[in-house]
Amino acid sequence: MSISTSSTAPVPPGLVIAPQLPDLMVPVAIRRGVFGFLRNHPTVAIGGALLLCLVLVGIFAPWLGTVDPTALAPGRRTRLPSADFWFGTDLLGRDIYSRVLYGARVSLTVGLSVAVLASLAGLAIGLVSGFVRWADGIVMRFMDGLMSIPPILLAVALMALTRASVGNVILAITIAEVPRVSRLVRSVVLSLREQPYVGAATASGTRTPMVILRHILPNTLAPMLVQATYICASAMIVESILSFIGAGTPPTIPSWGNIMAEGRALWQVKPYIVFFPAAFLSVTVLAVNLLGDGLRDALDPRMAKSL
Amino acid sequence: MVSYILRRILSTLPVMGIVALFVFSLLYIAPGDPAAVIAGDQASPADVERIRQGLGLDRPFLVQFGTWLWHILHGDLGTSIFTNLPVSAMIAQRIEPTFSLMAITLVLTILVAVPLGVAAAWKAGSWVDRTIMAFAVFAFSLPVFVVGYVLAYVFALQFEWLPVQGYTPLAAGIWPWLQNLILPALALGSVYIALIARITRASMLEVLQQDYVRTARAKGLGQRNILFVHALKNAAVPIVTVIGIGIALLIGGAVVTESVFAIPGLGRLTIDAILRRDYPVIQGIVLLFSFLYVLVNLMVDVTYTLVDPRIRY
Amino acid sequence: MDRRTVLKGLAGVGSLAATGGLSMPALSQGAAARTLRFVPQANLANFDPIWGTQYVVRNAAALVWDTLYGLDATLQPQRQMVESEEVSDDGLVWTFRLRPGLKFHDGEPVRSKDVIASLARWSARDPMGLMLKAIQNELTAVDDRTFKWALKAPYPKMLLALGKNSTPCAFIMPERIAQTDPFKQIPEYVGSGPMKFAKGEWVPGAKAVFEKFADYAPRQEKASWLAGGKQMLVDRIEWVVIPDPATAAAALQNGEVDWWESPITDLVPSLKKNRNINVDIADPLGNIGSFRMNHLHPPFNDVKVRRAVLAALSQEDYMRALVGDDTALWKPLPGFFTPDTPLYTEEGGEILKGKRDLATAKKLLAESGYSGQPVTCVVAQDQPITKAQGDVTADLLKQIGMNVDFVATDWGTVGSRRAQKTPPGQGGWGMFHTWHAGADCISPAAYNAIRANGDKAWFGWPTSEVVEKEVTAWFDAKNLDEEKAAAKRLNKAAMEDVVYAPTGFFLSYTAWRKNISGIAKGPLPFFWGVSKTA
Repeated sequence: MSISTSSTAPVPPGLVIAPQLPDLMVPVAIRRGVFGFLRNHPTVAIGGALLLCLVLVGIFAPWLGTVDPTALAPGRRTRLPSADFWFGTDLLGRDIYSRVLYGARVSLTVGLSVAVLASLAGLAIGLVSGFVRWADGIVMRFMDGLMSIPPILLAVALMALTRASVGNVILAITIAEVPRVSRLVRSVVLSLREQPYVGAATASGTRTPMVILRHILPNTLAPMLVQATYICASAMIVESILSFIGAGTPPTIPSWGNIMAEGRALWQVKPYIVFFPAAFLSVTVLAVNLLGDGLRDALDPRMAKSL
Repeated sequence: MVSYILRRILSTLPVMGIVALFVFSLLYIAPGDPAAVIAGDQASPADVERIRQGLGLDRPFLVQFGTWLWHILHGDLGTSIFTNLPVSAMIAQRIEPTFSLMAITLVLTILVAVPLGVAAAWKAGSWVDRTIMAFAVFAFSLPVFVVGYVLAYVFALQFEWLPVQGYTPLAAGIWPWLQNLILPALALGSVYIALIARITRASMLEVLQQDYVRTARAKGLGQRNILFVHALKNAAVPIVTVIGIGIALLIGGAVVTESVFAIPGLGRLTIDAILRRDYPVIQGIVLLFSFLYVLVNLMVDVTYTLVDPRIRY
Repeated sequence: MDRRTVLKGLAGVGSLAATGGLSMPALSQGAAARTLRFVPQANLANFDPIWGTQYVVRNAAALVWDTLYGLDATLQPQRQMVESEEVSDDGLVWTFRLRPGLKFHDGEPVRSKDVIASLARWSARDPMGLMLKAIQNELTAVDDRTFKWALKAPYPKMLLALGKNSTPCAFIMPERIAQTDPFKQIPEYVGSGPMKFAKGEWVPGAKAVFEKFADYAPRQEKASWLAGGKQMLVDRIEWVVIPDPATAAAALQNGEVDWWESPITDLVPSLKKNRNINVDIADPLGNIGSFRMNHLHPPFNDVKVRRAVLAALSQEDYMRALVGDDTALWKPLPGFFTPDTPLYTEEGGEILKGKRDLATAKKLLAESGYSGQPVTCVVAQDQPITKAQGDVTADLLKQIGMNVDFVATDWGTVGSRRAQKTPPGQGGWGMFHTWHAGADCISPAAYNAIRANGDKAWFGWPTSEVVEKEVTAWFDAKNLDEEKAAAKRLNKAAMEDVVYAPTGFFLSYTAWRKNISGIAKGPLPFFWGVSKTA
C-alpha cells in the first residue's frame, strides 16, 4: 500500500519518457513571502493547517478533556458515545475519545519518522549508487530485490522478526520505503551528471563531495520533499494496516490501527469503535496528501500553471 | 527486441537470488518456532525439541539454505512444514482467487480511472475537475479495510445484493465467480482508481500543452479525436508505468482484502504462513511475488514500444 | 453424576426452513441439504492428530479416525471400536476384542496390528500414554481381532486413557501410517471413522472437506459425545475457514454457512435477533483462563510475588474482557478444576475471593524485596483470548506497582519463547497467557498445567512436592471419595504455590441456522446426528 509510487515510476535504463522528473527550480513563489505563497497554493495552506491541528491535538492530548487512554474498566465496555464518553468505550471499557487523541501521536510519529529516515537513507544510497559506478549494480539489484517484495509483506515479515514497538514499526516501514527513494535520488543524480555544468565542475577538479553539495543536493531537495509527504501518508496507512493485522504497534499504546483492529469484529454492531479512528486516520492522510500535492504543484511550475 | 527481452530475463536472476537469500536469512534469525506451534498448547518442551529435529530445523544455516536452493534449482519449492503438502500445490490452489481479484480490480480501475482522469484534464480547473480530484484525494486517504467493511455492510448486509465472503472458482460460472469479487475489487481498487485517475490527469495535462496538440486544436479537430487519438496515446506511457508498479501495491492490498472478505488467496496464505513460521511456504510465495513483479515490469517495458513507437531498444 | 446426563440433551431444534439467500451456491436443493457448511474455531493447518495437538486438529480427526473407547456425555468411557474387554484379576493384563466389520477408508479391515501400531505411536506422545508405556510389559496381537496389553503395574484409568477427548486422542490408523515416527507427520489420512477426508479438496487456511464413508458400521446405541452410534445424516461436511469474525457472522446471517463453531460473544446479541439462527452454549465444561509465571527466575521465583499477583487479580475484569457483558457466560474460579464436575473444589482459594486487595498485594511485593525489575509479559496478539487477558494483566501489574515489559507478538513466537528456560533478559520470559478446555481440567489425568514436577512440568516449571504427591494420590485412588480428597489437597497446595493463576471459568457460544438440527453440547463439535433440511 505504497502511495509514494505515484512520483517514482521505475524507468528502464536508457529509456526517456515524457513527464519524468519535472524540471525543478527553486520556487519563485517562496520569495514573495509565506503568506503570498500560501495564497497562491491553497492546497498547501489547507493541508498544512489540518496537519498542524492534528499535531497540536497529539501534543496537547492530555489537556483536551482526556482520561488515561489505557485505563481498563471492563464493567463499562462497548458503551455508545455519550456526554461522558464522547466517542464511546471499547471492548475493555477504555475511553475511545482519549485513545483516538493519544493515537494521533503514534500515527504522526510513525509518518514523520519514516518520511525523514527513508529520505535520508534513500538519499545516501541514491548518491552512492549514482556516483560510484561499481557499487551501482550491486546496490540497485539489492534495491530491486527489496522492491519486488510487496511493502506490506516485507513489513509484516520484519515485524515477525522483532517485538512489537513503535520503533520497530518505523524501522520496518522505513526499510520497505527506502528502495523507492534511492531510485528517485539515483535517477536525479544520473540525469544531473549529464548536465554540462556538472561535467564542467568535475573536469575543473571540483571534488565529488563539493559537486554533491553544490549541484546535486539542491536539485534533489524538491522532488524529495514531495516524495517525503507521500511516504509520510503511506507510512501512516501501513502502520494502521500492520496494527490491524496484529503485527504493529503494541496494544499497550493506543494507535488508530490498534483501536480499529480491536473494534473490527464488532463493526456491524458497534461501528463507532472503528469509525472514529478511521475518520481521524483518513483526515490525517488527507491533510498530508493535500500538502504533498500542493508542494508538488508549487515546486513544479509547469504543473502549477495548469491548475 | 527478442534479445532485449532475453537479456532482461537473465538480469532478473541475480535479483531473485538476492531476494531468496534475504528472505531465508530473515526467517533464520526470526524468533518464532514452527515446532512449538505444531506441538500445540499442551505439549511438553521435550516434545517441541523432538519435532524441531524431525523438521530438520536444528541444522546449521548454510546447510538449510544450500538444501533449499538445491531443490529450487530442481524446480522443487519444498513441502509445507504444517500441511505436508508441496508448496507448489498450495500456491497453485491459491493463485486463481488472487489473480482473479487482481484482474478484476485492474479492469475496474482502468474502466473507471482513465475516463475520470481524462475528463478532469480536459475540463481542468472546472468543477468537474475539482470534484474528481477531491474524490481522488479522498479515496487515496482511506485504508482499504475501512472501504471493505463499508461496502460489505451496505451491499451485502443491508441490500443483500452480493455475498459477504468467499470465493467461487471461475469454473462454476462467470456470474458466481464475479459476484464474489465485485466488492473486494471495489475496496481494493479505490486507492488504485484514485492513483491512476491522478496520473492520467497529470499526463494528459502535460500532453495537452504540447505544441502538436495545440496545433491539432487549432486545426479544428474534434475534441474526442484530440483526446483519445492524440493525447491519450501519448499519455499512455506513464499510465502503463504506474499500472505496472501498482502490481506491488495490489499484492499488498490483496493481503488485507482477502482477509476481510475471506478469499482463499495468496495474501492470506502468506500472512498465515508468516504467523505460523511455515518457512518453505513463505519462501515460495516471496519468490513468486518477486518473479511476478519483475515479469510485470518487463511487460510494461515491452508495452512502451507498442504504445509509443518512438521508443526503440 | 445424574446432573451431567442433562448435558446429553440435544440443543433446541428449529423447524423453520431457512430462506436461501441470493448467494446460495448453484447446487441442487437435494445436494445442498446433504452438505453441511461449518466454520471451525481455527484453520486446519495440519492433519496429524498425534503429531499436532491443537484442538482444531482433534476436532477434524474425530470425523476421520475412530477410537477404541469414547467418552460419553456423563464423562464415562464407553466401548466404541471395542466389542469387549477383559482384565486379569491382578489388573495387569488387559485383553481387548474388536467389533466385527470395522473397515478403513481404503477398504482394508481393521486388524489388531493396526491398533498396536497406533497405540505405540500415540503412547509416545500422550501424557497418559507415556505413563502406560512406562509400565508396559508387552502389547501384542492374539489374532486379527484380539490384542493384549500386559502391564507391570495396574492402571485403573486404562479405558479413560483410550477414550478421553483431550489431545492427543488414541485414534486408530492403519499400521503402515501408524508406523510413522511420532515426531514426524503422517503422509496420508486414512481412518476408520464415519467420514473420509477429501485430501484433493483441502485448501489449508480456507477449506477442508469430509465425505461420508459408506462402509462405516456405527454402533447401535444412541450417540453421546465420542461414544455410541456415529450416524452421519449428511453426505458431505465442508469446513469453511473464516478468520474474520465479522465476516463469519455476516456469512451465517446470509445463509452462506450453516454452523459457526465459536462466535465471539459481542456478536451473539445480533445473531440471536436473527429469526433464522439459533445460539446456545457450546460446551458446558467451558474453558479455564490462565496465566503462568516463570518459577525459575526473579521476580516470580518468589512465591510471595506470585501470591501478590493472585491477591490483586480480579477475575471479573478478565472474564468481562474475554466474554463481554453476558454474565451467564462466566463465573469466578477460586480453584483449578472445572466447575460442576466431581473433583471441583475451592480449597485454598480464599485469596481469589472477595474484594481485590491491592494493599496486601503491595505489602507482599514489598516483603519479597521486589524493586522494580521488569516483568517480561509475552502476549500473543493473534489469539483473542490471550490478547484480552494480556491487556488486563498489563493493567493489573501496573496497579500493584510492577514494572511491565509487555512483549506483544504472535502465537508462533509465544510458543517457542515460553520453552526457553533462560532468564527473561536473555530470551526467556516472565509470564504468558493461555487457556485450558474445561474437559481437560476435570481431573489430573490429562491436566499437564497443574503438574509441579519442576523441569518436567509444563512451561513455568513450578516445583511443589505436595502437588506431585497429591497427583499420584489421585491416580492411585480406588473410589470417587478418595479422588475427591486428593483433589482437595492438590487444589490447596497448587493455590499456595500458585502453580499458575486461573483467571476465571468461561463458556462460549455456538451458532447455527435453524434448518440444522441435532447439534449436541460438548467439548468438541459432534457431527453425527446433525441433519439439515433444505
